[in-house]
Amino acid sequence: MDPLSEHRRLLTRRTFLGQGAMGIGSAALAGLLSRDARAAGNPAGPGWGHTHFAPRAKRVIYLFQNGAPTHVDLFDYKPELVKRHGQPVPDEYIAGRRFSTMTGKAEGKKLLAPVEPFERHGQSGAWVSRLMPHTAQIADELCFVKGLHTDAVNHAPAISLLLSGSQIPGRPTLGAWLAYGLGSEAESLPAFVAMTSVTRNTTCGQIFYDFYWGSGFLPSRFQGVKFRGSAEPVLYLDNPPGVDLASRRGQLDDLARLNELKRAECGDPEIATRIAQYEMAFRMQASVPDLTDLSREPKSVFDLYGPDARQPGTYAYNCLMARRLVERGVRCVQLMHAGWDQHRSITTELYNQCRDTDRASAALVLDLKQRGLLDDTLVVWGGEFGRTPFIQGSLEDRPNWGRDHHPYAFTVWMAGGGVRAGLSHGETDDLAMNVVRDSVHVHDLQTTILHLMGLDHERLTYRFQGRDFRLTDIHGELVKGILA
Amino acid sequence: MRATRFHRSVLHIAVLLAFGAGSAAADNSAPTHWAYVAPSRPVPPTVQAAGWARGPLDRFVLQRLESEGLAPSPEAGRATLLRRVTLDLTGLPPTPAESDAFLADPSPDAYERAVDRLLASPRYGERMAWEWLEAARYADSNGYQGDGERTMWPWRDWVVSAMNRNLPFDAFTEWQLAGDLLPGATREQKLATGFCRNHMINGEGGRIAEENRIDYLFDQTETTATVWLGATFNCTRCHDHKYDPFTMRDYYGLLAFFDRTAVDGGGGDPQSKPNLEAPTDEHERQRAELGAESRTVAATIAAIEGRLFPRPGDKPAGESESAKPLPEAIRRDLAGEPARRGADALGRLEAHWRGKDDDYARALSRLKGIVERRAALDRSVPRVMVMEDVAKPRETFRLLKGAYNRTSDRVDASMPARLVDTARPPRQGDAANRLDLARWLVSPGNPVASRVAANRAWQLFFGTGLVKTSEDFGTKGEAPSHPALLDWLATEYQRSGWDTKHLHRLIATSATYRQSSRATAGLLDRDPENRLLARGPRHRMPSWMIRDTALQAAGLLAGSVGGPPVKPYQPGGVWEEATFGAKRYEADHGAALYRRSLYVFWRRIVGPTMFFDAANRQYCTVRTARTDTPLQALLLLNDTGYVEAARVLAGRAMAASPETGARIDVLYRRVLGRSASAEERAILAGGLARHRERLARQPEEAGRMLAVGESARPAGLDAVEHAAWTLVAGTVLNLDEAISKE
Repeated sequence: MDPLSEHRRLLTRRTFLGQGAMGIGSAALAGLLSRDARAAGNPAGPGWGHTHFAPRAKRVIYLFQNGAPTHVDLFDYKPELVKRHGQPVPDEYIAGRRFSTMTGKAEGKKLLAPVEPFERHGQSGAWVSRLMPHTAQIADELCFVKGLHTDAVNHAPAISLLLSGSQIPGRPTLGAWLAYGLGSEAESLPAFVAMTSVTRNTTCGQIFYDFYWGSGFLPSRFQGVKFRGSAEPVLYLDNPPGVDLASRRGQLDDLARLNELKRAECGDPEIATRIAQYEMAFRMQASVPDLTDLSREPKSVFDLYGPDARQPGTYAYNCLMARRLVERGVRCVQLMHAGWDQHRSITTELYNQCRDTDRASAALVLDLKQRGLLDDTLVVWGGEFGRTPFIQGSLEDRPNWGRDHHPYAFTVWMAGGGVRAGLSHGETDDLAMNVVRDSVHVHDLQTTILHLMGLDHERLTYRFQGRDFRLTDIHGELVKGILA
Repeated sequence: MRATRFHRSVLHIAVLLAFGAGSAAADNSAPTHWAYVAPSRPVPPTVQAAGWARGPLDRFVLQRLESEGLAPSPEAGRATLLRRVTLDLTGLPPTPAESDAFLADPSPDAYERAVDRLLASPRYGERMAWEWLEAARYADSNGYQGDGERTMWPWRDWVVSAMNRNLPFDAFTEWQLAGDLLPGATREQKLATGFCRNHMINGEGGRIAEENRIDYLFDQTETTATVWLGATFNCTRCHDHKYDPFTMRDYYGLLAFFDRTAVDGGGGDPQSKPNLEAPTDEHERQRAELGAESRTVAATIAAIEGRLFPRPGDKPAGESESAKPLPEAIRRDLAGEPARRGADALGRLEAHWRGKDDDYARALSRLKGIVERRAALDRSVPRVMVMEDVAKPRETFRLLKGAYNRTSDRVDASMPARLVDTARPPRQGDAANRLDLARWLVSPGNPVASRVAANRAWQLFFGTGLVKTSEDFGTKGEAPSHPALLDWLATEYQRSGWDTKHLHRLIATSATYRQSSRATAGLLDRDPENRLLARGPRHRMPSWMIRDTALQAAGLLAGSVGGPPVKPYQPGGVWEEATFGAKRYEADHGAALYRRSLYVFWRRIVGPTMFFDAANRQYCTVRTARTDTPLQALLLLNDTGYVEAARVLAGRAMAASPETGARIDVLYRRVLGRSASAEERAILAGGLARHRERLARQPEEAGRMLAVGESARPAGLDAVEHAAWTLVAGTVLNLDEAISKE
């Protein structure tokens, strides 16, 4: 017998989930997978289905490029930098600027031209490096935001700032805020899913901390559930050896009956939640194998994403999974790919990073578009900061050219859900060093993502330690210029 | 309607006007917030049903109930009560023998004696340590990139021991914040200061050392403020507190007490100085053994060298006439006493004499081995990061916006100004140190600590503090549900000499605590969160307690106390995925798999997967959430440790009786501390029959199930039968009642 259809049969056989004899309605279930986001004492959370204003997007896929991709070599084209290659960086560009201790003082560092040529693409004429040929092909779908800047100069604090609004770990992240504010549309999957990947043989050592998808002080049901690129995508999902679906079903039936006896005796409504909790676990066991079963994906899909998409744990696989997750109603998919920290590998590992991510990123956008999902799905691509337009290393030693951390300017692209396609927003100076027009702080980016999802960043709050916290702390301006 | 920006700013200005100057700290005219007035001892109120109250504590609760027109619930059943208090005081369920003895004890003080037995159990300290470790952000690694392993566990063992010895809370405080500064400080008192060094350490390349150092000081300051002042000091890092009477000056004044160690913030050494060697008994034993062996062999060598290199008594062998022909390097190696020579020198000497004088060479080789073993032993001795002030205090500055490099005016070490009792001012400024701070925190001069500490004790037993926001006693925190009771407990705690076991005993033996947790529909409607305390506590246990309960019920729990952290079963690849293979998780074997959860290795960047709703051990946490997610159910149903516990528990039930009903009873008694009802037995017996029928058709499935976990299976058990009972035992371990305290 087909185990999946057997599983479904077992699911529908049950009456627990209806407004049946046990009286456990969808309300109790809803709380478990954050379908009802309201929390006691925190009426500020608008709750499932209640946005502050009409949303432009219903879900977000954040393609987080961990380690900070070089804006200089990929999207922010500066002919002047090519011209001045090898010259010392002019003082006025770096005055008062603080860099990582690896650079120390930036004075006297030599400017480094992009390692590959740029070309213009599409009707929008967007400049994209030859390193990103697939992304270049979809340039007209994208909105390049070139005026991003941040406060932090090291990875973990900068990622934390971008994802949670604070450099110090421990605040709720964007996905957790969205789960809290909007709930989930998924019947049996979490509202917020995180997945990670890394380029093979990279020398970088950026670690994925679980606070990158944490819920901070929000109830932990809003935290991102880490889907792993292995045989068991969710921890403890598989039944132990020797336990099949039917016996697990029977066990849960017994458990529910015994718990129901207890509820009748002691009157604690928490027990109803407990029964629902175990029921939901069973549903999740049923739905995840279906989610990760790629056998029904046509060949054309793999042609689009590339052969890596068949390989669990790769960026391409995660991109395909991201589409499958949003199709099933998951609110926020945070995909993190490490390896971008090219301190001495701009001429080597940068090529591998692009090879491993470019095609699948573009494929995801095209795939969503083909399925009519791009209109209300927001896709964001970007890292935690940019990289210095000047060199880290020696000009004479091309194989070890590198660029250091650069918080003063970086590029993010967005697609779908309410952003203006084919736009290049903001501008850096002629050396891609500092933002000179339409600067966008990471808090502004957060504000704008929430806005596109129908949420006012000043009203999406949670009271903790006596204070109403927000994703954007006390900052954040909507970037109106990129709205469609 | 959405408030416009203009509306909000008008509102904001109005608020500013109302509060004077925009921060509560600057406002001296407002009435002082209740938490910042020292508690005075209230008189227990007069109540109508005075017979119900077992002590003053109950009268405060009863008065509130009577004023609300409510009556307390009847006392919980004896089995329920014993399980409740055993879980609360030891983190474990009662054994069937303990339940039997208690149920058979007709004496009127049987319960009080049970409480005393539990308070005296070594399990008490282990149970009480958990929340303290969460507050102390204790972990076994640094956090951040690299996440190097540290050896702070002797400090953790000290906490357990201090709790078991009932070290008074004032000493407990002084030792941990300033044990090194106590006159004639003992090793133990210095070890206790590891509390301050449990913060994360950032070894990421490119980090500015001073920025790290300031981060560590922030953490020490805010941890102290949360634990002893119930204050959200993190707000005052960058500006005066918006709601509470604390200024930036208060923040940096408190920080200044910690700003005097030699810690410079550089690098990621997980044993960075100042540190304290904490050899175990086994280390000491081996050191003594090696010392004796070394003396013997060194004496042999000295005798041989006396013969080979005749010389006056005080000259080294290398200066003997007969050493003259030897190569220069060898003469140098012969310079010192044999016992003081290093392994390299001994190796060169041994090589020189091998084949020339084999007795001498053998002795040299033996000594080299001893020296090397001694060095390896020294390296394996844990080093606990501790506190130690440098002679000349560093100057501390206010940091604008909390930025490490934006120093403003100089700040003296000082206690928060609004909390200081001007009638008995503590020592502040250059002459004051951490000991002055610690002593002030637990002195009658500090109005907050006794309430904050007593409230955490209440939270431990009732799941919610009298002040629900146990981390925030400020104006934005919740007001106490029973203010007079809180003051009475706080003053009682101080009056008793900060006797923590006394405080716990007061709560555990109260009529309030002993109520049944059964809730009527009316009461649920009236008081869903049980803040009025018209019934006993009932809530899901913390995940660590669920695990310990399963191990205990199965009879698997390893009883040993303390020692290096252990690694129980964990799904493969979790550490590897988080660290790109840099950290590999290898589960332990044997008894280490079954140690209490307190001893599980805590990697900061990716915590143990077998726990949920636990503090993340990155920052001080004094209150954790209680949530229900499907992932928790999956863990409890499918984790190797729980499946193994069910298998071993099933084996015990089968060994106890051939009869199904009696076996079910064994499961219930071991897990729930009570017998099963006829209805419960019928449901489980039905399940058993189903499992048995299926497994009989698929005996290989039974074999696979029984292979889960390392522990041996008892000989002679039928595999199908054992597997079927394993599933039944798994059902019992997953009952709401099994994972709840009620």
